[in-house]
Amino acid sequence: MAVVAIALAPFALKNYGIYLLTLWCVYVMAGMGLNLTVGYAGQMSIGHAAFLGIGAYTAAILMKMGVAFYLVLPAAALLCFVMGLALGFPALRVQHHYLAFATLGFNVLVYLFIRNEEWLTGGTFGVSGIQRPKPFGFSLDGSAPFFWFTYVSTILLALILFWLIRSPWGRAFAALRDNPIRAESLGVNIMAYTLLAFAIGAAFAGIAGAYFAALVQFIEPGPFHLITSLMMLLMVIVGGSARFFGPMLGAAIVILLPEWLRFMKDWYLVIFGLAVVALMIWLPGGLLSIPDRLRLRKA
Amino acid sequence: MKPFLEVKECVKHYGAIRAVDGVSLSVAPGEIVGVIGPNGSGKTTLFNSILGQIKPTSGRMQFCGEDITGMSPLKLARRGIGRTFQTLQVFGKLSLRDNLIAAAQEFRGTLFGRLFAAPDVGLGREADEMIERFRLEQVAHLPAGSLSYGQQKLIDIAMAFMPRPRLVLLDEPCAGVNPALVEQLRDLLLELNQAQGGSFVVIEHNMDFIMHLCPRVICMVEGKVLAEGKPEEVQSDGAVLEAYLGN
Repeated sequence: MAVVAIALAPFALKNYGIYLLTLWCVYVMAGMGLNLTVGYAGQMSIGHAAFLGIGAYTAAILMKMGVAFYLVLPAAALLCFVMGLALGFPALRVQHHYLAFATLGFNVLVYLFIRNEEWLTGGTFGVSGIQRPKPFGFSLDGSAPFFWFTYVSTILLALILFWLIRSPWGRAFAALRDNPIRAESLGVNIMAYTLLAFAIGAAFAGIAGAYFAALVQFIEPGPFHLITSLMMLLMVIVGGSARFFGPMLGAAIVILLPEWLRFMKDWYLVIFGLAVVALMIWLPGGLLSIPDRLRLRKA
Repeated sequence: MKPFLEVKECVKHYGAIRAVDGVSLSVAPGEIVGVIGPNGSGKTTLFNSILGQIKPTSGRMQFCGEDITGMSPLKLARRGIGRTFQTLQVFGKLSLRDNLIAAAQEFRGTLFGRLFAAPDVGLGREADEMIERFRLEQVAHLPAGSLSYGQQKLIDIAMAFMPRPRLVLLDEPCAGVNPALVEQLRDLLLELNQAQGGSFVVIEHNMDFIMHLCPRVICMVEGKVLAEGKPEEVQSDGAVLEAYLGN
């Protein structure tokens, strides 16, 4: 029902509304990856925007070279997968806030790279004139067709994640999260699953980055700074970490709520900030933990 | 009979403290060996040294003739060595049934093969049988972390046996278990010993439990083996009584 309602939403929205909805899809894709790394596998990452950036720049540069989107997408995912594997290595040695700082450092490094390496990324001038994909010759220049294209891709990615977390890998990720010492004593290859959790999460963000580049058609380093990583983490936590629909709800709140609160003018960010603080205090399990809490209260 | 597990002169020092001080131990195939001793006598440190959780200062460990000294818990698990922990060690957010499947799934196929395998990796029936054996059917689908201490302790033990290990080291399996269940737990361990044919080394403070479970008992005091033999011999050993009760 909700899936159909969202698909029909462009008929009731103006261009800016459709843009926001497409942006929501982009952050849902990236958020699902972060949810796998942080929520399901119990790792810590505040550097996820770096992968969004790597995906976006990979897509932008390749598409400017005339490479087709269907080839760009796996290239962005693969590059982020490999970079995610590399970022996973610190997680084998450090945990919690130490790991948070390692991932933060990675984000800053990637940001500095894309800002300073003008020959490749255009530096602060960015990359402009990014063409949107044309699947089977069908133009996606209109905001609604591109939304539907992104929306279908988001659903496909969600199905892949659903299959992954229901597979034995999903159970191994949960074992890694809940008790790595016990998991290792039962033959769970902590190293392999930690690296995979980072790499797959990064690949999701890389794909999201490619869609982001095609959506805005002009990218510069700004959207891939630390603040975006924190917003993505907020999406996962607000929606419900390790809950399948958590990033979807979280992204809706983080992306769309500030827009709805704009009528409050200068106060909207204050209200938004206070709402987040209140949520963290009273609902640390995220909004999707409300039914569980009510059930526990009744029992 | 050639020993299954052989520990030779295991030593573990923490600065000036000799937590384990030259302990030798051998376990035959299918044998159940008990390890007793007062608190701080080095029993768990010995276990952790054998199981790769800590690096021994010196000494050698062999399993089926292979040197396993300092081997990681992962490699030991793959050689068929399982363990339970003194404190609760379950996967709290997974259901009891998923805990049991998780305990054995990594021994099925390859890493990438498991990605495309059935969600229960064909272990559903074995998990259900284990749940039935431990009489945990009522709570099989509840998150393990939401269950009582005693139930989680039983899950911890059941998990260790799911991969059908050749050797299991059980660290205080009775701790926190309802006294009414202790006898049942002893029968379960004997049944699993018969059914799976593995060897057990059991650390326990419950003397009645260990005397009825283990045909051979080792008593450790201050990091050393003080006495070894049949349960009744160790129980009546003057030095053992002195170590437990004092002069």
